[in-house]
Amino acid sequence: MAKYKLHQPAGCRELLMGNEAIARGAIEGGLQLMAAYPGTPSSEVGEALIQAHGGGDYYIEWSTNEKIAFEVAAGAAQVGARSITAMKNAGLNVAMDTFMTLPYGGVKGGMVIVVADDPDAHYSSTEQDTRPLAAYAEIPCYEPMDQQEAKDMTRDAFELSEALELPVFVRSVSRISHASGDVTFGPARDRRNSLGFNKHYKLPYRWNVYGAPGPVSKHRWLHGMLSKAREAANSSPYNRLEPVEGAEVGILSSGVAASYTLEAVERLGLSGKVSFLKLGMIHPLPDRLVSQLLAEITTLIVIEEGDPVLESMVRAFAQEKGYQLKIHGKSYDGILPPYGEINADKTAEAIAKAMHVSVEPDKREGRRKELRSLVAPRSSTLCAGCSHLGSYWALREALKEHKGVHIINGDIGCYEQGGYGLFASKINVSEEQSKRHPLRSAYEILDTIYVMGSGIGMAQGQAQAGYRDGKVVAVAGDSTFIHAALPAVVNAVYSRADITFLVLDNRWTAMTGHQVNPNTGVDALGNKTDGFDIPAVAKSLGVKMVRAAGAYQLEESRQAIAEALGFTGPSVVVLYGECMLQVLRRTKRGTAATRVDEQTCTGCTLCVQLGCPAIMFDKEKKKAKIDEINCVDCNLCVQVCSFGAIAVEGAPE
Amino acid sequence: MSVDIIVAGVGGQGSILASHILAEAAILAESESPGGERVNVRVGETFGAAMRGGAVASHVRFGKGVYGPLVSRGQADMVIALEPLEGLRIAVEYIDRDGIVVLNDEIIPPVDVKIGAVRYPEIREIKAALEQLGATVTVVAGNRLAEQAGTVKALNIVMLGAAFRSGILPFGEEILLEAIKRRVPQRFLDANLEAFRLGKESHNA
Repeated sequence: MAKYKLHQPAGCRELLMGNEAIARGAIEGGLQLMAAYPGTPSSEVGEALIQAHGGGDYYIEWSTNEKIAFEVAAGAAQVGARSITAMKNAGLNVAMDTFMTLPYGGVKGGMVIVVADDPDAHYSSTEQDTRPLAAYAEIPCYEPMDQQEAKDMTRDAFELSEALELPVFVRSVSRISHASGDVTFGPARDRRNSLGFNKHYKLPYRWNVYGAPGPVSKHRWLHGMLSKAREAANSSPYNRLEPVEGAEVGILSSGVAASYTLEAVERLGLSGKVSFLKLGMIHPLPDRLVSQLLAEITTLIVIEEGDPVLESMVRAFAQEKGYQLKIHGKSYDGILPPYGEINADKTAEAIAKAMHVSVEPDKREGRRKELRSLVAPRSSTLCAGCSHLGSYWALREALKEHKGVHIINGDIGCYEQGGYGLFASKINVSEEQSKRHPLRSAYEILDTIYVMGSGIGMAQGQAQAGYRDGKVVAVAGDSTFIHAALPAVVNAVYSRADITFLVLDNRWTAMTGHQVNPNTGVDALGNKTDGFDIPAVAKSLGVKMVRAAGAYQLEESRQAIAEALGFTGPSVVVLYGECMLQVLRRTKRGTAATRVDEQTCTGCTLCVQLGCPAIMFDKEKKKAKIDEINCVDCNLCVQVCSFGAIAVEGAPE
Repeated sequence: MSVDIIVAGVGGQGSILASHILAEAAILAESESPGGERVNVRVGETFGAAMRGGAVASHVRFGKGVYGPLVSRGQADMVIALEPLEGLRIAVEYIDRDGIVVLNDEIIPPVDVKIGAVRYPEIREIKAALEQLGATVTVVAGNRLAEQAGTVKALNIVMLGAAFRSGILPFGEEILLEAIKRRVPQRFLDANLEAFRLGKESHNA
C-alpha cells in the first residue's frame, strides 16, 4: 500500500486538491484539533485530515453545526492548542456570533479559520464574499492564489495567530478548494503546544469579554494587535510588489484572481509594462506596499473576484494619502461585474477595457451561437432510487386530499433539488400558474429554499400571519434537523404553529459527500456512537403529533403525512430511507430487474412524475421504459404505477 | 508552451480520475528531466454534490505560464469526451481552432431527454458541429473497448489511450502508464493497462 499522499516527506511534490493542501498545511503547522461541519466546497479539509489521521495525535470531529465547530476550535486555542475549523461561506454566517466576539481577547494557541467561498454559487445559496467579514471581525486574512499558497498560508497562519494572539482567517474559493495543483511539501512540525489554562493570560479576565474593565478594553487591545498585523502584512512573503520603472499603470490583485491576472497580462503582451502588486495577506491592508505602488502610477486596475473589497480599501487609502489617480474596479466603471466568477478571459477583457487595448475576438462566436441550440440541457436530479423521491411522492399524494395553494418550505441538502425545476421545462410567470397543484414534477415541489433551517422558521411565519389558503409544510434532512431546526421546533411547539414538518431521514450528511452526523451512529473516525432518535427528540421537545414511516413504503408514508396534515398544531413526520448510494456501497447489486410491461403501460407518464432519473419515456411509442444501467430496483415506480405495468422481475407478488 | 485539455463526462464515469492521471504524468515527466524548466500543473474540477449523473468537466493544464485552474474559452488543445453530449457542451465553448476532440460514442441521456422534453443530437451531428469549429474529431467505441478490457469502469483509461494516440501529449507512454499505475486501484490495474492499449490502438468508430 502506497503511503497516503498527505504523509509524504518534505520536499515531495504532489498533485493536491486545494482542500487537501490546506489539510497538509495544518499537518505541517502541527494541528492539535480540527472541528467542522461539512459544507461544499470546504468539506474535503476535514475529510483529508480524517484520512490522514491514522491514530494520529490530533483530535478531529464533525460537529453538529459551524458555530459549535468554531467554539470547539476556539476552546482548544484558549488552552493553548493549535486548532483549525473549516466551513463554507454560509457556514460562517452560522458561526457569526462567536466569530465576531472571539477577537476581543483573541487566542493563545494558533487558531485558523478556513472559509471557502463559492463565486458563481456552484454549490451555494449565494455568492457571499466573506473577506469583508474578516475585516469586520478585525482579524488577519490570507487569500491564497493557488494550492501551494493554500498549504503554506495554512501552516504559517498558526504562527501568525500565535504571534498576534488572534485567530487568522484563510479565505479560499471553489476554484482553489476544488481545483488541484502541484504542491511541494515542507516539514511537519514535530512539537505540540503544551496545554494550560490561565484565567488572566496577559490580560485581566482574558477569556471573558465582560471581565473588568469590560469589552471596550479588549476592543482597544484588538486594535493594538491589528497594527502589528499590518506590519506583518507589509513584510508577508505572500504580498509581492513587482514594480516596473516608468510604468503609469499598476494592477492590484489577490487570491485566485491574481492567477488569472498573471495569465491575462501575458496574453495582452503587457508583461514588463505594468507594475503589479499581488496580495496574499489582504487584511490589514499592507499600507507601505500599497504606497509604493500608488506613488508611481496614474492608473490603478483592481482585479478581484467577489465584492470590491481591495478596491474599497485602496480608494480610502489613496484619498487619505492624497494620491491622484484613476482607479478601475467594480464599484464605479465596472470593468468587472460584482457577481459571478471571473477567469483569465474576463480579466484580460477588463484590463484591455481599462487600458483601451483591443482584444482580438474569436471569429467563431457566430457559429458557436448556432451550435449551442444542439446542446441539450442536463438537469440536476436526485439519484435513481433516492428515498427523497418516495418522500416527495407521498407528500404530493397526501396533499391531494386538501384543497388550496399549499406552501412547501424546503431546506438545504440533496432534497433541495425538489425546488430546482428542470432546465427543459418552461415556466410561465403568472399568478394563475402559481396555483399549480397538483404538481407534474418532483423537482417543482418546493416553494421556498434559502439556508439551513430556514424552512421550518418561515413556515411558522406563514401560518402565524394567518395564511389559510392551503397547508403549510416544511421539509429538512436529518443532518439539517440537528444542525439548525431544533430551536425552531421548540418555537413551533411554544407558539402552537399549525405546520407540518417532514424530516427526510437518510442517515448521512449526503450532499456534501456522505459525512457522518449524530444520526449516522458513528463518529468522524468510524467509532460507534449512541445514535440519535429523531421521533423521540421531536416528542421530547413537546410535539404532540409525531409519526414515523418508511420512505420506500409509499402508502405507509402517505398515511403518516395525511394524519399529520389533519392535525391542528405542529406535527412532525420522520420518513426514513437510508441514502441509496450508501446502501449500494454495502450491497453490490447485479443488473436491475425492474421492467415496464409495454402491453399494460398506458403512457400516462405518472411514473415520469416520480422524478427518478432511471425512468425514461419513449415519445413515439408513448411507453415508459426503465434505464437498466441506473435502476436500483427500489420499487418506488412499481408502487406509483396505477395500472400495475411496472414490476421487479423475480420479486414475490 | 502550455497544454490545455478538458475531460468531459457525466458523474461516475471517471473523468476526474482521468484528468488527475494526466496531471500526475505531467509532474512525473518533469521529475524525469531534472534541470528542465519548472512547469505548473493545474486541474480545475467542477463537481459538487454527491449525486450521480451530473455534468462534469475537468480542466487539466500544464506548462510555463499556467497559473489558474481553468482553460480559457476557445483555447483547449484537446477535449476528451467520455459522453458525447458533454463533449459537445464543453467543446463548443472551449475547443481551439485546430484542437482535437476524442469522443466516446456511448450516450447517457439526461433526464430532460428521458422524459421526452428535448432531443439528444445524433453523434454525426455532434461530430459535424465540432468540425465546423475547426476541430479534428475522433469517435471511439469506448464502452465496448472497456468491456473488452474487462470492465466498463475502464472507459476513462480507454479514452486516455485514444487521447495519447493524438500525439499532442508532451510525455511518453511509459510516463503515462506509470501515472495510471499510481492512480488506479491495484486490483483493476491489468484491466486498465489493457484498456489503455485498446484505446491507443483503436480506430475511428
